[in-house]
Amino acid sequence: MKLTTARICQLIFLVLFLILFVQTEYRGRDDINAAVNSFFRADPLVLFSYLFAAKSWSWLLFPAVLMTVATLVLGRFFCGWICPLGTILDLVTSKIRKSTPIKALKGNFKYWLLLPLLSASLFNINLSGLLDPIAILLRAMTFLLYPVLGLVSREGWVGLYRMIGERRDALAPAYSLIRDNLLPFRDTLYPLALLSAAILLGIIALERFETRNWCRNICPLGTLLGWLARFSPFSRVPQVLCGDCGQSRQMCPTSFDKNMLRKEECILCMECLQGCPHERISFRPSLKLKGCGPLLPERRVLLGGMAGGLLLALPIRFRYPEKQSRLLRPPGVRSEDDFLKKCVRCGECMKVCLKNALYPSAYQAGLEGIYTPLLIPRLGYCEYNCTLCGQVCPTGAIPPLPVETKRCEVIGKAVFDKNHCLPFARKIDCIVCEEHCPIPEKAIRSRDVQVMGLDGLIRTIKEPYIVEEICNGCGICENVCPLETKAGIEVFAVKNRTPISPLSVGQEAKPSGLYP
Amino acid sequence: MDRRTFIKATGTAILLAPTLIKEVLAAREQSLVAVAEGTDYAAITRKAINTVGGMKRFVKPGDVVVVKPNMGWDRSVKFAANTHPLVVRAVVEECLAAGAKKVKVFDNTCNDPRRCYVSSGIEAALKGMKGVECKHIETERFRKVTLNGTFLKEWELYDEVLSANVYINVPVAKHHGLSKLTLGLKNVMGIMGGNRGYIHRNLDAALADVNAHVKSHLTIIDATRILTAHGPQGGNIADVRVLNKVIASTDIVAADAYATTLFGMRPADIPVTVTAYKRGLGEMNLDKIKVVKA
Repeated sequence: MKLTTARICQLIFLVLFLILFVQTEYRGRDDINAAVNSFFRADPLVLFSYLFAAKSWSWLLFPAVLMTVATLVLGRFFCGWICPLGTILDLVTSKIRKSTPIKALKGNFKYWLLLPLLSASLFNINLSGLLDPIAILLRAMTFLLYPVLGLVSREGWVGLYRMIGERRDALAPAYSLIRDNLLPFRDTLYPLALLSAAILLGIIALERFETRNWCRNICPLGTLLGWLARFSPFSRVPQVLCGDCGQSRQMCPTSFDKNMLRKEECILCMECLQGCPHERISFRPSLKLKGCGPLLPERRVLLGGMAGGLLLALPIRFRYPEKQSRLLRPPGVRSEDDFLKKCVRCGECMKVCLKNALYPSAYQAGLEGIYTPLLIPRLGYCEYNCTLCGQVCPTGAIPPLPVETKRCEVIGKAVFDKNHCLPFARKIDCIVCEEHCPIPEKAIRSRDVQVMGLDGLIRTIKEPYIVEEICNGCGICENVCPLETKAGIEVFAVKNRTPISPLSVGQEAKPSGLYP
Repeated sequence: MDRRTFIKATGTAILLAPTLIKEVLAAREQSLVAVAEGTDYAAITRKAINTVGGMKRFVKPGDVVVVKPNMGWDRSVKFAANTHPLVVRAVVEECLAAGAKKVKVFDNTCNDPRRCYVSSGIEAALKGMKGVECKHIETERFRKVTLNGTFLKEWELYDEVLSANVYINVPVAKHHGLSKLTLGLKNVMGIMGGNRGYIHRNLDAALADVNAHVKSHLTIIDATRILTAHGPQGGNIADVRVLNKVIASTDIVAADAYATTLFGMRPADIPVTVTAYKRGLGEMNLDKIKVVKA
């Protein structure tokens, strides 16, 4: 790869992407100023699928409007100058020997992907994030690469302790520098980790057939940008390969399938301009719109794509009802339907979650909910004073809320399982859940009751109960329940997620139950 | 008395003498609790420490000292869920002044450690101090220790405490749902690893077991402000009472016993204190404790 302006720009954006990725974590401050969500907020595919699905506007996505306008004017520069996945492909492609392009991917294949995705949005399911290149990259990093980096470093650090014990402290400053600035704080494993990485690897493997295979034949974002780019007045001149030389074909990563430049595939990488031995090539406004396919793909592709979206949108909505009881969404999500319209499944909330409470849904939310975030209290709870997920969500599917408001948002409601909970099942004290309940007035309280112990003796124990009106379902009770495996208290999803008002609930709620 | 009996008697006396003398001395040495009051929290902390003999009594030059505050909760200073940062800082400064080689400050937190260390104000209060470490707990450092207690036969304890020369216990005085109050004896949970919730099923005995193994050389209870209800993490300013007091004692049970009175309760009301007293970990009878205003 020769370092031209465009290549340097690509590398800068790749580094920026990595820096923002690492910054998408709690690093001692309540607010994250710049997160990797900037890339999604400037992503026209995210914009259009959001507009179609939510049928409303969000200022969070204003950068994507600018990107759309810029593409209309300049062309598909995003792919050749910014896209971090494209940059990774450019970095590795020279190491991969090419065979012949895959025929099946040519023609309208990419429209058969883009159109159903967008039309599914119209039917209220926002699936575009599944094939968005930035989301694919981010998910592979979040769910596999970053945890692996964390685990390996930590295992090494722990191994060092096992070897040299406290003398390890001599190296502690160096390690904590790396840990505090680069490594994930906690070792977390994610479901779908291998699938997420396999998709990324698959895209890289496609380079075996031709350069930027994903970008020119599959990527829905690229397809959308390419479609916008055909309105751009700028174009490579000349638009055909020169008969006496034709070297552009070797230099061009995307557009010269035939002798004519395919304008919607030109990613403005400027390789041909830089490499032309005759200095004939320029990029300038040209009124003649040549080198484009028809404005809309063939009617059967268009209609078929739309119908495909409908078929995609409806049958995958099936969900097992028993899974729904534990389908806990991040704080501030009031309605499941609204959430599915807005969530792009980018994985940022799961990356940033302070207690690693959020995991990608594999099957719990049905096929339609794959990769959407799911709170699993037994693995991590929602920290009372943390608002990070709302801050990094690029579309506001998890709304950005001030901490006072977020504390009142209802994720679910806690329920005791009296067959497991110690004071009920074994007639002994415990009350760890009450201790940890963060609501100032305590949504979990306890009262002294006289019970007959399993040994037949009468004793007084503290029996817990839940004040449902002020439970926000944060899940810390389930998380810290000292029972092994299954907890004695669990958070269940509720339809009515009207926020609690902890300050108004000062009075003692009436205990109910067998004991006075 | 024949010669044989005489020799037997003398031998026994010589063997038992050190123990007997110690017993007599210990009985005479009344448990001393220093109580300092004032709005300059650093100053009253120093006063309380000086009243129990000054830090030099506990910390020798070159010692590694663990100062264990309560910073288990993601709550800001005013909510009295964590030890006041000024108290912690004053204790640490005294340790350094006494010649400590290293002072380690940490807690096995209940909320996210990063947030607790920040919100408690303790990390910031200690920032930049030479010879002071304020690191997060590293789970690999918990070591299984044989306690042979009445409830806990063994448990994982933090190796930095086990290997330290001096262990200074700096809890904040708070209400607690199960044990009624959490003071010095319960603060020791912050050096325990494993499934800590497990010990709640027999908390009094478990805490006595651990405290019998890990002796607090000095207990300094932060009662600058106390949490009177909805403990141990509170969150409502109405539950907080400002007392501007710091309590110090070498006797952890005596310190706890005195602190109990600040809540209008008697030491006998707190099962954790009673169990520790019965175990011989210290004095809980207020009339046998010498309370000195510092």
